[in-house]
Amino acid sequence: MKLFNFFDLDVSKENQSRFRKIKLLISSLLLIMSFTIIGYRTISLANINKEKVSNIAYKTKDNKSFQKNLRGNIYDRNNKILATTISTLSLNINPQEILNKYQTITKLTKIFPYLKEEDLFKKFNSNKKHINLLREISPIEYVSLLNAGIEGLKIETATKRIYPNNTLASHILGATDIDGKGIAGVEKKFDSQLQGGKDVTLSIHGGIQHITRALLLDQIKKFEAEGGAGIIMNAKNGEIFSVVSLPDYNANNYNLTLNENLFNKATKGIYELGSTLKLITAAIAFESNLINENDVFDVSKPLKVSSRIINDFHPLDYAINIPEVIVHSSNIGSAKIAEKFGSSTQLKYLRSLGLLNMLSLEIPELGKPQVIRDKKVLSTMTISYGHGISITPMHLASATATIVNSGVKVNPTLIRGKVEKKNEVIISKETSIKMKSIMRLVVSNKNGTAKKAEASGYLVGGKTGTAEKINPSGGYYKKKNIVAFTGAFPMNDPQFIITIMIDNPKGQKFSFGYRTAGWVVAPIVKQLVTRVAPILRVKPQLESSPKFSNNLLNFKIRGKKDGATL
Amino acid sequence: MIRYPSSFIFFVILFVGISLYQIKHFITKKEIELAQIQNNIKSAKSDINILKAELSYLKRPDRIEKIALNRLGLREILPTDIWDLKDLVDITVTLNNGEKK
Repeated sequence: MKLFNFFDLDVSKENQSRFRKIKLLISSLLLIMSFTIIGYRTISLANINKEKVSNIAYKTKDNKSFQKNLRGNIYDRNNKILATTISTLSLNINPQEILNKYQTITKLTKIFPYLKEEDLFKKFNSNKKHINLLREISPIEYVSLLNAGIEGLKIETATKRIYPNNTLASHILGATDIDGKGIAGVEKKFDSQLQGGKDVTLSIHGGIQHITRALLLDQIKKFEAEGGAGIIMNAKNGEIFSVVSLPDYNANNYNLTLNENLFNKATKGIYELGSTLKLITAAIAFESNLINENDVFDVSKPLKVSSRIINDFHPLDYAINIPEVIVHSSNIGSAKIAEKFGSSTQLKYLRSLGLLNMLSLEIPELGKPQVIRDKKVLSTMTISYGHGISITPMHLASATATIVNSGVKVNPTLIRGKVEKKNEVIISKETSIKMKSIMRLVVSNKNGTAKKAEASGYLVGGKTGTAEKINPSGGYYKKKNIVAFTGAFPMNDPQFIITIMIDNPKGQKFSFGYRTAGWVVAPIVKQLVTRVAPILRVKPQLESSPKFSNNLLNFKIRGKKDGATL
Repeated sequence: MIRYPSSFIFFVILFVGISLYQIKHFITKKEIELAQIQNNIKSAKSDINILKAELSYLKRPDRIEKIALNRLGLREILPTDIWDLKDLVDITVTLNNGEKK
């Protein structure tokens, strides 16, 4: 069979025509392919492969100038910077590129007297190709370096996270590591957002945060206490205006700070907060419908349960009702109330108030409550006045907010304008009104334990708590207390929650040796409310105004010697 | 023999080739400009951050408090400074009624 030969020039006319057609077809195919490639390349250059081209362009132009996004800023609720990232200059060398090492070292030590010659000699004689001499140099030092004209030095641009307010909200802000990655606080929780260059606006109010810290610190010093925590929170939406944990630290020196100072007592530390828990006991009692405000409980004798004897700090020799149990802070009364509604009801409400679980606050440093859940009568009784239940001060603030916010659950948040999806009702409005009325009496009544918290015009209400501090090696310290106050203002329409805790205050001459919450914490509450209320636009009111009397009930509270007058 | 269609295609290819080179050059140039602009933005942002941080440092609540107390002679606001006028009228009425009784 004869094969068709493309290179055979001696072809017939018929074959020539066929041959041309084939050549034309091949040429057309080649042209189409060329145009397809050209078209694809044109489009890809112009659009599709832009990222790759961009990177090449960046790299070819100036490798050093190519930077990733600056880490986002953290602001307070008034858009004041709490954390930001700035560019700094670092001093580096390649020892192999330094010609006159001795001269260079002499020049460097003149500009940077804190650099030791011996250390520099070691670094200059190293085999490494890149050595960092100083992580950060000031603009003045930079100019001096340029003027000195030292060869072989490499000045590189780096970024640095700074906290201009030093100690302000340091526990909340947290810190970043050397690579700019969040390692604590909001910096860690919002790391991906901040690394992407996006800002975070907190609900913290810089001014209120400072006042809370200053007053708490002052009282801690006065009572030679180990530390403390203070919280001011919006009672309606849970936005935290201030959250202080003392001792604290300068956020710029996170790595140099002792662990003890890094510990966040407000959100991570769990404590038995004593009689402040009686508020919850009273709320459960009203809500269970088993007890009403007129039922009385005999508190004249110590209560013996199993091997334990429950006493009162301010003993009364007559039977008292729930408002009086709270105002006089009777452990016996509280235990008897709890006995009536029982362990299951108690645990149900503790759970729904969020006191059995960790909070969903926007920082990683959160404490998990510890509660005795053996359902024994003794445990139910002791939990009712805050023993056998360890929670964070933030848990207490949250539960207080729920009680005064008409029973609608309040979840604390550190983010401004966060919208709460659920509207979970924990206790009824009626119970909430009763509780608000009683809380006000704790402060305003002459028999109340928080009389020193009365801030004229701001209708403060709340509950004090004094508890023996837990000894980590078992049992309780007999001479170490945790003192606390939780409350709200103004009580006729609570706008803000205030929760204070002080760790191990010592009795002082001016306090007649007392180290109870009424002496230690209540005075801060008064000062704090007086100072922050105008900033928070809470107007002073008269207790006699209809706005007050319409919103609260008037319970009669008997004194120590008024037992027969009920 | 050179045919017109072939020469036309040759010139088209030549034109497309030159255009492609121009486009590539143009895009590279624009990318470099873009990179510079983005770096300038980052640099400006960093400068703004420094200014904001300095402002925040100067407006530190503890510093403002010291200035307000020691230099300006200011003091904390007391409830009597901001009492609602209507409430004051109520107090006066209450007091007057008390005196009459």
